[in-house]
Amino acid sequence: MAGRTMIERLRDPSEKSLGVLLLAPAFLLLLLIVVYPIATLIFNSFFDMRLSGGSGGFKFVGVENYLLVLKDPDFWNATGNTVLITLVTVPGALVVGLGLALLANLPFKRQWPVRLALLLPWALPLAFAGLIFAWFFHTEYGVVNDVVRRVWPGSEPTMWLLRPNWAFAAICLTIVWKTSSFMALILLAGLQMIPKSLYEAAEVDGASRWQQFWQITIPMLMPSIIVALIFRTITALQTFDIPYTMTKGGPGNATETLAMLIHKTTIDYLDVGYGSTLAVFMFLLSLVVTGVYLKRIGRNA
Amino acid sequence: MTIPQGKGLIVLAAAIVVVNGFFPAVWILLTSLKSEAELVSKPITWWPHDPTLANYVQAFTDQPLLRYLGNSFAVAVLSTILSLFVASLAAYAIARLNLRHRRLILTCIVASSMFPLVTLLVPIFQTMRALNLLNTYTALVLPYTVLNLPVCTLVLVSFFQSIPKDLENAAMIDGCTRLGALWRVVVPLAAPGVFTAGILAFVNAWDEFLLALSLNASASMRTLPVGITLYQGEFTFPWPIISAALVVAIVPVAVLIAVFQERVVGGLTQGGPEGLTARGA
Amino acid sequence: MKRLKLLPALALIAGLAVSIGTTSAYAQTTLRVFSGGANQRPDLMRKLFDQYQAANPGVKIEIETGGATSELQRQYLSTVLNAKDSAIDIYMIDIVNPAQYFGAGWLEPLNAYVGSPADAMKPYLPVYLQSNVVDGKVAAMPGFADAMFMYYRKDLLEKYKIAEPKTWDELAAASKKIQAGEGNPNLQGLSIQGAPIEGAVCTFLLPYWSQGKEFNDASGKLTLDKAAAVKGLNQWLSMVDAGVIKRNVAEVKTPDTVNEFKAGQVIFAINWGFAWDRFRMDKDSTVQGKVGVMPLPAMAGGKSATCVGGWQWAVSAFSKNKAEAAKLVKFMATPATSKFLAVEGSLLPTIQSVYVDADVVKSVPRFKDAANVVIAGRAARCPGLRAGQRRGPDDDERRARAHQEARRGRG
Repeated sequence: MAGRTMIERLRDPSEKSLGVLLLAPAFLLLLLIVVYPIATLIFNSFFDMRLSGGSGGFKFVGVENYLLVLKDPDFWNATGNTVLITLVTVPGALVVGLGLALLANLPFKRQWPVRLALLLPWALPLAFAGLIFAWFFHTEYGVVNDVVRRVWPGSEPTMWLLRPNWAFAAICLTIVWKTSSFMALILLAGLQMIPKSLYEAAEVDGASRWQQFWQITIPMLMPSIIVALIFRTITALQTFDIPYTMTKGGPGNATETLAMLIHKTTIDYLDVGYGSTLAVFMFLLSLVVTGVYLKRIGRNA
Repeated sequence: MTIPQGKGLIVLAAAIVVVNGFFPAVWILLTSLKSEAELVSKPITWWPHDPTLANYVQAFTDQPLLRYLGNSFAVAVLSTILSLFVASLAAYAIARLNLRHRRLILTCIVASSMFPLVTLLVPIFQTMRALNLLNTYTALVLPYTVLNLPVCTLVLVSFFQSIPKDLENAAMIDGCTRLGALWRVVVPLAAPGVFTAGILAFVNAWDEFLLALSLNASASMRTLPVGITLYQGEFTFPWPIISAALVVAIVPVAVLIAVFQERVVGGLTQGGPEGLTARGA
Repeated sequence: MKRLKLLPALALIAGLAVSIGTTSAYAQTTLRVFSGGANQRPDLMRKLFDQYQAANPGVKIEIETGGATSELQRQYLSTVLNAKDSAIDIYMIDIVNPAQYFGAGWLEPLNAYVGSPADAMKPYLPVYLQSNVVDGKVAAMPGFADAMFMYYRKDLLEKYKIAEPKTWDELAAASKKIQAGEGNPNLQGLSIQGAPIEGAVCTFLLPYWSQGKEFNDASGKLTLDKAAAVKGLNQWLSMVDAGVIKRNVAEVKTPDTVNEFKAGQVIFAINWGFAWDRFRMDKDSTVQGKVGVMPLPAMAGGKSATCVGGWQWAVSAFSKNKAEAAKLVKFMATPATSKFLAVEGSLLPTIQSVYVDADVVKSVPRFKDAANVVIAGRAARCPGLRAGQRRGPDDDERRARAHQEARRGRG
């Protein structure tokens, strides 16, 4: 196509050059903001960088950090907690979020209370959501124990956040509360894309609401569900703010997540090399989980 | 659509949802009207027994709250617009073009969000310093855009994919270029997805703490989440004042995203994919 | 990236050329000072900086505030310093940080400016020689002190004719007697802070120190005596079991103790120096005129000891104006400055002689008694809990953490 002018080519570029053009802004931004930090992080993970260790803090140690991580009981404890939080809160948020989205999609006379209820948890700054719920679960000044006291007068108040299992449950509940908004938002948008004609046709065929839900709504919503799950899973594996503000990982390290261990290692102990290695493990964990989902998306496309 | 049978149950569910969603916000509102001394009364009180607006006065006088609010808005709005623009281009390429490594490209974009931010903080700080951008809106807008890129791109990819290709072809036969078809046909049809991605990007930027703390440390460029932490001190945590500041922070966001969300649900009353599908088919 | 980094450098060179051309009388130095959050009183520091600027016309001082708590400050500072940022010349840092930050190479040794450690630290409370001198180098100079005090309800002790308790057991007995006499189920005997906050390390160490044991040796190494630590811990636990300390002590933070004491729900309270004015002067305090301060009790056979905190001035190793910065740090650590902060802001002096200064005693009479408490004070340099290395959990850390866990596990 030698005869095409510059302008014509710009107006109607070939598939490949259009692709490069469209993807360029995204990749330039990634290159500028995160590629260098990620490269630094991977580089650091091969060094002994205990900044305050007095060793000057920069020594190549090969994969020693990686081996140490595998032997570190704190790493396994934090990974276990993180995986458990993910397994509880991702399905939890999906179920609650789907319920929210379906409710918000119903033609109520007054829609704003449900819509706003769906948004408020999302609008509350994350750093404060944990503090507010920690307060709700406070032994003396918490609403939860106040309700318990009203229902069963004279009962001994439970110390929710000081008992490992209760603290864990309280954290999961808070995360589900805070993140189901995110799920609901994406699913609600997905619901809008389902052609109403499908329901009308099903109605004609005599399908019940229940059948319509399983045979139309869920399959048609699948792409949105997967997108929501991918991000909810990635963020669940990075859970930090809520346990950090509610329990600081306590009692003991019963609620310490991987992100909190990384934070503690890099900020409090100033062990940059080891912190980077932990971050690489977190990345691998996310990648494996997300890979499974993304395969699904690829297939759909 | 009508409200299905079992109306009572549905209304009950809605009531639970409303209470659940509103409770913490209402609690914060009530606390903002109490005195700090009331908070240690045993048993605790629900309604403020001596309501006061003093906490709001103090929230505005202790810290430049409006300034923080303005900074947060500027950063969140700018990064939302930029995220949507960049992500919709990338999403279109991934969803529609016949590229060879589509899944790899998508995985790369999504994978950028898999590292904990705290470990990327120092190099990002160094980059922004090298670009002489510390303590500017840009210092936050650029990283926030990148943080939002994965979720926005993926949401948009899934919505773009659900729009029938025929519609686009029809538009191109009518004389649109490919990019013209993207802006005039694909993006408007995927409006629920675009607005949803916008809301997600906005709130993520609005919420972010760690980068804001380090990159925009000067008082005049501080954002709201960082600003609100300054009401506390080493030895003090004045819940009533912090609650007042939180109310001031939540209300505008809730209103704004509620307006946007109307577009998600109400935006497709005319036309909508099904009408067009019929035409395309 | 390389080209982008060049741009500011070029701008700088151009700027320098211009400024060399135009500066005539004296070189103007701008010092940027990070001075913490509101509790570190940037308002008073500003006044001192203004004095300094008036006396040194070539210097301009800018304040950067940020991070309301020690924890948030650490988060911010570790990013800025790890990035070797030269924008800030002087840092105000928590007493637990000099050793760690100096070890990381972030702080400029001040020996060349203030003399040998022994000479430089002579005027100050003994605790600063321990916390601010690292490996024979002066890492930071004391700004102002803080300490944990034992506040108590004078009216209640008088009512039950009880003298100030000297040991923890006496304190527990006194509490039981008053609690029984008052019949108020919400009245706590002793309020301490067990929540995972900065001060919790102090709470853990108070009964340990009061057996006459040391936590760090002269070089800052952890010297935890395990038996004594367990004994100290059991002291707290037995008081929880006896109902003197409340059950959910692991949830109690500094403001909780203050607010509960103000509300008349506490007989004895351990808290930092600022609490005194809150008890006495806050409008909503129900205990105005009923509060006393006394030395902390000891374990039977031990001696009273408290936890000393406070804020230090340090010069950034990345500063481009180190000499000027060190001069300002020296000024901020003089007796005159200490006196100003004591009189204007009731901030505890770092220098013994200031406690008995006539003007100080006149405006803050309680400081005269406080001197004895503070001189006997210790600081936790906590290598195991904070400043040390994490890689391959070492024994010190495991031991220290085991105690923390034991403490919280009992709740």
